[in-house]
Amino acid sequence: MSNLQITGYKCKHCGRIHYPRHEQCLQCHGREFESIAPEGNATLLAYTQIFNLPWGFDERFLIIGVAQFGNGIKSMGQIKAESLDQLHTGMQLRPVWEPVRYVYGEPVYGLKLEPMG
Amino acid sequence: MRDVAIIGVGMIPFGRRDQDSLIDMLAYASMKALDDAHLGDKAVDAVYVANMGGGILQHQTGIASALVDRLSLLPAAADLVENGPASGASAIKNGVQAIASGYSDVVLVAGGEKMREVTGWRATDFVATLTHPESEYPYGITLPGMAGMFTRLYMEQHGLTAEALVAVAIKNQEMGALNPYAHVEMMITKEGIFDSPHSVVNNPLVADPLRLYDACPVSDGAAAVLMCPLEMARELTEKQPVVVAGFGQATDTHTLQERDDPTDLKAVRLAAQQAFDRAKLKPSDVDVAELHDAFTVLEIAESEHVGFFGKGEGSKAALAGLTRFGGKIPINVSGGLKARGHPVGATGVAQVVEITWQLRHELPKERQVKNAKVGLTVNFGGFGNNVLAFVLRRAS
Repeated sequence: MSNLQITGYKCKHCGRIHYPRHEQCLQCHGREFESIAPEGNATLLAYTQIFNLPWGFDERFLIIGVAQFGNGIKSMGQIKAESLDQLHTGMQLRPVWEPVRYVYGEPVYGLKLEPMG
Repeated sequence: MRDVAIIGVGMIPFGRRDQDSLIDMLAYASMKALDDAHLGDKAVDAVYVANMGGGILQHQTGIASALVDRLSLLPAAADLVENGPASGASAIKNGVQAIASGYSDVVLVAGGEKMREVTGWRATDFVATLTHPESEYPYGITLPGMAGMFTRLYMEQHGLTAEALVAVAIKNQEMGALNPYAHVEMMITKEGIFDSPHSVVNNPLVADPLRLYDACPVSDGAAAVLMCPLEMARELTEKQPVVVAGFGQATDTHTLQERDDPTDLKAVRLAAQQAFDRAKLKPSDVDVAELHDAFTVLEIAESEHVGFFGKGEGSKAALAGLTRFGGKIPINVSGGLKARGHPVGATGVAQVVEITWQLRHELPKERQVKNAKVGLTVNFGGFGNNVLAFVLRRAS
């Protein structure tokens, strides 16, 4: 499993932003996209705390959420919080690039989100 | 196109079946369906097998070929259908299309899954392979995790309450306790899983805000149906035929994050609409429904999206008992996935088996919906990214 890059795809015809990649725009079926990187902080859209983890994770729990960056890219990421009491939908999160899992002892880097303020 | 009738059904009890292989289970359920129809030596043209995880969990492929050989139904055509947790309904759909088009006359559909021979850790990972391999799976998201996020949004936006989820859990386990095929035959109380201070121990969080008793068990099991053209049904069997009046199937984005409104189960809505339109029936015509309650929240959300209740009304309906046995629209009288269990490849077939029993009026009175004529099933794949619905009707 390689490191997880987040590249958004902005439809050159209608402007809809996609992540992950599609061959045709979900809205207008356009086929030309501009590749964009996530920008700025992110707004928390949905979250949960998972206690029954899948194979490959040794943690007691994971807090996972979906957040939207300032330029419209929406992505899933792990949230750096000890409890859900620190979270609410609509709050701002700071993106950081850290290991999200280990495969055969090697870190896989991906999106983590830190609550702000 | 020809009308399609279900003329035989079979199921084996769901649960932990260490003694049986995947093929054993599929074969036992298939033989029950063949015997149920009293088909004798009439030929089966085609066999569709629903299974999601044989390649991963049993390290076995070519499962349809193995089953048709085990059943000595050679040289019938045989195909495996994999559509995640909606594999069962997808396999039935393939059978319906084969018969309706005239390519096949007698079709057997068997769905099965053997999930208990791996640890819970592995089973959770297996089901999580449904998620997006780059943007979701590596983060450790699970299907309960998806459902947890969905539940919180539904609570924030559509008035869903924890009490309504508890009402569904209690109802379905109560019905499961009456179903000899159910994995979980244990009644639960609101005191034990919600009101009591000990409930946090009895009913721990799985994926906040969902708790243990909001989730279906991990199960082994199999179910099968036998179908033919309605015009042939009376010649082939004395059983009361059940007509596949309509089916629908729709897809949605692979990831939840790309849905404009993640609380809108668009694929459920469209699949049900298609099924009702093809059947020339409407939600108010349905006497009994089997909805895909892998999590209690899904029963409530689906009850709204198929048109039984308005958005935000499903919670109130569950709390008011409208979806209980004897209520306005009984849902999951089998116990649903929540109590019958969820061997993923078997589930969509098991739902159709249950509704067939209901429409033939063959169940014991404590589970038989009186005079049931029309039934609905919803089989939910991924997290709502591939959904099938069937409207079944008792033949006149």
